[in-house]
Amino acid sequence: MNATSPTHRTVMRSQLGRARGLGSGHSGTGHWIVERVSAASLLPLSGWFVIQMFRLGGEDYEQVAKWGGKPVNATLLAALVATSFYHAEVGLQVIVDDYVHGKAHAPTKLLVKIGTGLLGLLGIVSVLKLALGRPASKG
Amino acid sequence: MVELRLPRNSTVGKGQFFPAPAGSKNVRTFKIYRWTPDDDSNPVMDAYEIDIDSIGPMVLDALIHIKNDVDPTLTFRRSCREGICGSCAMNIDGENTLACLKPIRDMQGDIIINPLPHMPIVKDLVSNLDGAYAQLRSIDPWMKADSAPPPDGERLQSPEERAKLDGMWECILCFCCTTSCPSYWWNGDRYLGPATLLAAYRWIADSRDEHQGDRLDSLEDTFKLYACRTIMNCTQTCPKGLNPAKAIGRIKELQVERKL
Repeated sequence: MNATSPTHRTVMRSQLGRARGLGSGHSGTGHWIVERVSAASLLPLSGWFVIQMFRLGGEDYEQVAKWGGKPVNATLLAALVATSFYHAEVGLQVIVDDYVHGKAHAPTKLLVKIGTGLLGLLGIVSVLKLALGRPASKG
Repeated sequence: MVELRLPRNSTVGKGQFFPAPAGSKNVRTFKIYRWTPDDDSNPVMDAYEIDIDSIGPMVLDALIHIKNDVDPTLTFRRSCREGICGSCAMNIDGENTLACLKPIRDMQGDIIINPLPHMPIVKDLVSNLDGAYAQLRSIDPWMKADSAPPPDGERLQSPEERAKLDGMWECILCFCCTTSCPSYWWNGDRYLGPATLLAAYRWIADSRDEHQGDRLDSLEDTFKLYACRTIMNCTQTCPKGLNPAKAIGRIKELQVERKL
């Protein structure tokens, strides 16, 4: 608003047009549900994991591999890893929505998905390796 | 990306000082945000010493006294002076509220008055609410019914159905809640904000309205509705004691109910 230099208005679209924008994305409810369901699921899963870690404390590799080889343990471990990284993904997306604006928004959101997805996959593969792989025999 | 500091032309400087007249007994200092579009200068905080024994009890009384008797250039909106028009919404002592309902004696020390946060400023304490008004209009805040009304009268509602609108019809659209919401500060272009969502739920909850589904459809969006992070500033700041956060929660519950 300078009296000496003419101001150029780049946005002359009406306020109502801007408020309506591109309309509803018809999504968000699913995200809202999984945010809460994954958080609630992590409570028993992490509790179980912490108890198991205390029980295994000080044990050698053989014992831990044996523990991880049991189907119930491997299933719960894989569920814990999958839920943790899924929860991280939906949670980090919210942070990106809040703090990253403009052109960086979509790529950052995609990076979060790829990053958490790969880390989760790495965790699952490790659990499977422990469960299905044959531990090196020591006599 | 995130803006960690104010743009250079928004940095607030020190302004003029208006001392209290000699013989004043109960002096309080009002520090008020001043900015005018007429020149290129930055906003400043002017300080006015006021004898609060000589004026009415509310912050609006002090503002009117300043404009009438001390500094006629001070600009602010006001109308009803009894908390029903919503015009004098501003940030007083760090909290969005109505100047006409805020007693001066409730506050300690200097009284700091700013316009509603994070909105474009027209002048001094007058913020530009055009965007917020347009967002309100975008949710169609009027009754939409396809059945013909009874030929002999208005559309009826049971006392129980009517009771569901309590806590929502009282909203005066001062936008204290919307402008107190960090999520609205970050994404105000896409997030509708608490005032508009309260108004949206007021029509979703109205038994006479027949477009609940359409209304929920148009709200189902990562930003329009779900950018609400349940920070609850809206409910804490509402000068009418309403609970926009609860209304937003109810909209989310309905969205989930029709999905599961």
